[in-house]
Amino acid sequence: MATVEKLTPEEVTAKNYPALAPVAPLLGPGHDYESISDTITSVVVEKPHPPGWFIMAAVGMCFLSLLGISTAYLFARGTGTWGVTIPIAWGFAIINFVWWIGIGHAGTLISAVLLLLRQDWRNAINRFAEAMTIFAVACAGMFPLLHLGRPWVAFFILPYPNSMGLWPQFRSPLVWDVFAISTYGSVSLLFWYIGLIPDFATCRDRAKNRFAQIAYGMASLGWRGSSRHWFRYETASMLLAGLCTPLVVSVHSIVSFDFSASQLPGWHTTIFPPYFVAGAIYAGFAMVLTMALPVRKWYKMESIITTRHIDNMAKVMLTVGLIVCYGYASELFYAWYSGSSYERFMMWNRIWAGPYRYAYWALIVCNFVVPQLLWIKSVRVNPIPLFGVCMFINVGMWLERYVIVVTSLTRDFLPSSWGTYHGTIWDWGIFAGTLGFFTVCMCLFIRFMPMVAIHEIRVTHHKNTSHGH
Amino acid sequence: MHDDSANKGPQVYGLIAEYDDPDQLLTAAKSTYDAGYREVEAYSPFPIHGLAESLGFTKTAVPFLTLCAGLTGACAGFGMQVFATVYHYPYDIGGRPFLSWPAYIPITFEMMILFAAFTAGLSMLALNGLPRPHHSIFNAKNFERASSDRFFLCIESADDHYDDAATKEFLEDLDPRPLEVSEVMV
Amino acid sequence: MIPLGLLLVAGVSSGIYLSPEGSQVDIARQQPVPFSHQRHVQGNGIDCRYCHSTVETSSFAGIPATETCMTCHSQVLTDQPMFDPVHESWRTGEPIAWTRVHDLPDFVYFNHSVHVAQGVGCSTCHGRVDEMKLTHKEHTLRMGWCLKCHTNPEKFIRPRDQVFNMEYEAPGRKEQHALGSRLIEEYNIKVGQLQNCSICHR
Repeated sequence: MATVEKLTPEEVTAKNYPALAPVAPLLGPGHDYESISDTITSVVVEKPHPPGWFIMAAVGMCFLSLLGISTAYLFARGTGTWGVTIPIAWGFAIINFVWWIGIGHAGTLISAVLLLLRQDWRNAINRFAEAMTIFAVACAGMFPLLHLGRPWVAFFILPYPNSMGLWPQFRSPLVWDVFAISTYGSVSLLFWYIGLIPDFATCRDRAKNRFAQIAYGMASLGWRGSSRHWFRYETASMLLAGLCTPLVVSVHSIVSFDFSASQLPGWHTTIFPPYFVAGAIYAGFAMVLTMALPVRKWYKMESIITTRHIDNMAKVMLTVGLIVCYGYASELFYAWYSGSSYERFMMWNRIWAGPYRYAYWALIVCNFVVPQLLWIKSVRVNPIPLFGVCMFINVGMWLERYVIVVTSLTRDFLPSSWGTYHGTIWDWGIFAGTLGFFTVCMCLFIRFMPMVAIHEIRVTHHKNTSHGH
Repeated sequence: MHDDSANKGPQVYGLIAEYDDPDQLLTAAKSTYDAGYREVEAYSPFPIHGLAESLGFTKTAVPFLTLCAGLTGACAGFGMQVFATVYHYPYDIGGRPFLSWPAYIPITFEMMILFAAFTAGLSMLALNGLPRPHHSIFNAKNFERASSDRFFLCIESADDHYDDAATKEFLEDLDPRPLEVSEVMV
Repeated sequence: MIPLGLLLVAGVSSGIYLSPEGSQVDIARQQPVPFSHQRHVQGNGIDCRYCHSTVETSSFAGIPATETCMTCHSQVLTDQPMFDPVHESWRTGEPIAWTRVHDLPDFVYFNHSVHVAQGVGCSTCHGRVDEMKLTHKEHTLRMGWCLKCHTNPEKFIRPRDQVFNMEYEAPGRKEQHALGSRLIEEYNIKVGQLQNCSICHR
């Protein structure tokens, strides 16, 4: 066994671990199995919460009540309170839907794809990212429902035996979307929960009060950690990862079919599925970092979510960002190369002549220019500039969907049906409200569930310390 | 032996040895299995590769069940769409074919994933006998650390070679030596 | 818990929807005058078309005007208090406000004359009205129910001269199929079109 310097968890977390070594460690030194459990479970079972948590929860609650007000007003007055009107029947609802779904994808990518690729560094961030997936999908799912105008009959789109003798239109991308999003949401929830079971068992065994013991005990389903348990558990985890990987690609491809299966200039293109999937991962990683950087600081988890983790995430973001920018270039090129006057007009309108050109150039700055800073190592490993870059990407990805949706719809084939679009205060209210919903969910998650997959960190530790492996 | 234990006092579930290192547990598990014990179970706070195999547990039905469920889901998804659009309510749109199968692929795929994923997760739980709120092993001394930093090896009294005294001695003399060996009551 | 809860909600709500509470099937409605079809059709032998006079020529079968009632009731049972609304209407010229028993949603176009001309009998949709004391709905009139005939009309249609025969009994399954198929041919019913959305939702 390698001998490690024995430090108390406080000493461990108080230290700052530079990532400048050739391969920085995935776990701060001085950790043993107990200190790993301590560092992570103490957040849910004992530690008083830092002021940051309360501020985040309070701000989130304010925005969440805004969601309540905006939806109540929407239900009372109808979708006319939104800025949508012909020719822009899809406004913020679809923009926010695609944005949120995209954010969710990073969670699945980190937990499933990186598991299959045996990237050990995922272990410290996968739980957090999976939780983000669930909440982002919940936010995304609200928009199509709210956009219905009659959300109480949303179940009409599901195939169920009904007195009308009717079926949903299985040839429509919107129905594919329903299947894709509901499958994605429920499978992500399952994957997340399965991952949480052994950690709930740890919380059960370490909880101080009776109520917490019972609650975590029920959530852990009586997990015993026997070798047979783990054997089946690992098999099932790998299978789930293998299933989630094509699922995540299919989901955003299907989301892009909502656009590309139509015939509108700017939408009807074959680059959309890969371009959307890359954009989703881009936005998702930015959001993971946006959430993880402050939380890591507040809870002094620098020895678990190390500098190497954030460095790796920044590198993934840079790479995927370049793929997304390839998508922008390809859209420009094919608009010209297609020879279609409608495509050419659309692109010229988008980048130069139209009323929404500012949004286009803002998106280029946010998604292309600013993220080039990530080539610099000190930006990647330094939380504050990295957080700034992530905020640019969050905004940029939202603008990308805004540009795609609005510029194409406002200027379609017939000049007589041209129009303009602006979100009303209620559009913004609901969008800000879902941000609040997301924040509050994340706060509750941090408060009540182990935010790092404890048993997977132990595996990392085992690999670090074990001889002969 | 232990055949009279059924009607006398509290029953013994087994004998448990405690370790603080995963690799020691693995070695101990191998020796125990080689000594002929079969009703043996090891408990650890994280998956240890080769542990289940060293106790003779090498196969699980989870992948096969998942495959079956995936195929079922795909067939159900495709079948539902064909039934709806070809048999139950065919609808002629400009003479296009009723069986427009390429359009059915996305839903077929999603249904396949849905069925397979839930089967993988739920069959894992079912085969593990979960949820099960209580189990005798939770009576073991120090077992609350089995989910954190301790590694346990339990020889159950149901084993053919089990004998209170001899098995205790066997566990205590194992190489590597356990921190402690104790009895687990039912 | 959550799936179980959702299942419960779905079960209860579809239970209510499918029950007479939801469909209003078999529930006799209160009317201003307790009008009995049984008395008038079986007892007096009055034809459907005496009162529902536009059923063969218009989309709407027609609710009889007070004058139609008064053709007999100016002489018969004039002293019964339950006739007060009829007399009141006769005096003032204000029509009687009957409660509709068969009310389709406004987005559905239904034409009685087409159905009557193509061999759909009154009793096929309305049941044995001639046996009803107070009128009730016999079927749900929901889309799935309409589609039963719109997909397989040969199972239901009868010769034109039997449309108003309330006592008409369909022949056995095989015979009905043969009869229905022959009538579809004869009446030139285009079965393929009957499921188009715009047939009913115009």
